[in-house]
Amino acid sequence: MKSMITIVKEQISSFYLILRLSAFELKSANTNNYLGRLWEILNPMIQLTIYWFVFGAGIRKGREVPMDNGIDVPFFIWMVTGMIVWFFVNPAISASSRSIYSRIQLIAKMSFPMSAIPSFVIMANFYTHLILVAVVTVFLQFTDFKLSIYFIQLPYFMIATLLFLLALALVTSTLSTIVRDVQQVVQSVLKMLLYLTPLLWQTEHLMINGIDFIFILKLNPLYYIVEGYRAALLGTTWYPAEYPQLTLYFWITVVVLFFIGSVLHLKFRNRFVDYL
Amino acid sequence: MSETVIVKNVFKKYKMHRSPKEKLLDVVLPGGYGEDFYALQDISFTAQQGDVIGLVGVNGSGKSTLSNIIAGVIPPTSGEVTTIGTTSIIAISSGLNNQLTGRENIELKCLMLGFKKKEIKEMEPEIIEFADIGKFIDQPVKKYSSGMKSRLGFAISVTVNPDILIVDEALSVGDQVFAQKSKNKMFEFKEKGKTIFFVSHSMGQIKEFCEKAVWLEYGEIKKFGPVKEVIPEYEKFLKEYKSMTPEQQKKFREKVMQKQKGLAAKGI
Repeated sequence: MKSMITIVKEQISSFYLILRLSAFELKSANTNNYLGRLWEILNPMIQLTIYWFVFGAGIRKGREVPMDNGIDVPFFIWMVTGMIVWFFVNPAISASSRSIYSRIQLIAKMSFPMSAIPSFVIMANFYTHLILVAVVTVFLQFTDFKLSIYFIQLPYFMIATLLFLLALALVTSTLSTIVRDVQQVVQSVLKMLLYLTPLLWQTEHLMINGIDFIFILKLNPLYYIVEGYRAALLGTTWYPAEYPQLTLYFWITVVVLFFIGSVLHLKFRNRFVDYL
Repeated sequence: MSETVIVKNVFKKYKMHRSPKEKLLDVVLPGGYGEDFYALQDISFTAQQGDVIGLVGVNGSGKSTLSNIIAGVIPPTSGEVTTIGTTSIIAISSGLNNQLTGRENIELKCLMLGFKKKEIKEMEPEIIEFADIGKFIDQPVKKYSSGMKSRLGFAISVTVNPDILIVDEALSVGDQVFAQKSKNKMFEFKEKGKTIFFVSHSMGQIKEFCEKAVWLEYGEIKKFGPVKEVIPEYEKFLKEYKSMTPEQQKKFREKVMQKQKGLAAKGI
């Protein structure tokens, strides 16, 4: 409990720093490309095209996706509203778990809390995410899914995503500094998650030998976030209220991760330099 | 004169691992695993305001480890380091971000040192003036020469006005003109009553700057005192060491390696 409070305090006191450092992070990531930050949009577009081609046109043969409120959504729109989360979460998780060991030599000599390192890496990815959300929202205005009152859930889900990423990053960045192999584990799990989250294929039931295994997919906290974004952008339901168990489960996961993360982080951070 | 740096019974122990398996065991087992290696053993001394202390010793004697511990970059295994005031360490690899320009690096580094935006704006011209690298200040640092990098690093570190400054062989890269400028700055610091630690292999520089010296030999303090006493003895040792036959040198190294395994550290 005490360690959680310490981390929260550090996050708040270095908030300005996190914002500034994330701006530098973005800048240094894109200086080598001629098209610069345009790649942050181009890259997802290229990926979306190929996923639509394989999963939408190929495997689904263009069938629409039924939503909770009985409306059928074209596959492409269904996919885009979910993948938009993935394009944020995927790079943020892998970069934040790398964040401490790749920067420690620069940062150990400075007098600022090390728990801010994963945070500013996540924030740097969040800026790109905001731009992508704006692009997708504008795009949706040209379809049947125009802005609705349900859109106001979106900030809630953005904050939920940020807190989830931060809690997870505290765990992964600490562990991967101590044992570098953890980074490889994170990468493989991420590759699996692309297919275990409702991003590319949709299912209501997952019947194996007569038992419905859909609950396993719902154990993934990203399930909640992705479906929530979709509900907000497509204006289908008030997702957190419609699925209170999922909401509760998500927040318990975040708190538990945050607890484990802050204990681990505080326990090892003085010795991070020794693990290089 | 008041004390600014108090180093008390500092040990720094590293584990040596022969394979990744041993490394993993070290992480998993509560008592750790692997052969002990003491980079520093029972280091104790105090530094006063206005002291300029040279750290000398042959390679691997723990000079950089000690300066990093004083700067708070790495924690000691046991013992205590008390520093009164802010510390700043200048090393050759001065921790600049290669992708960003010099100007951006100035802001980045000052931010990380805890300065406010306004303070940074005030310091920026001073840093640029001191570094004196002309138009390169708006170029990415990866295009800098090694001299330019160390000049910028040095300029940032001295302009943030630390109370305790640790210079780890950083003066050896700059040219004569810059070295002179840096020296002047350090003399200025000395007069202001700051504490400076100076790591160098150049006895000339040590004699010129420092009043006191710490001679480290394989992780232990061989001698601590005024430069006039320590340096001649160290130079004598160097001469002897150089004139040894390769076999004798090897024997000497084996002897100290035994020591660094922790035979001298019966206290813990």
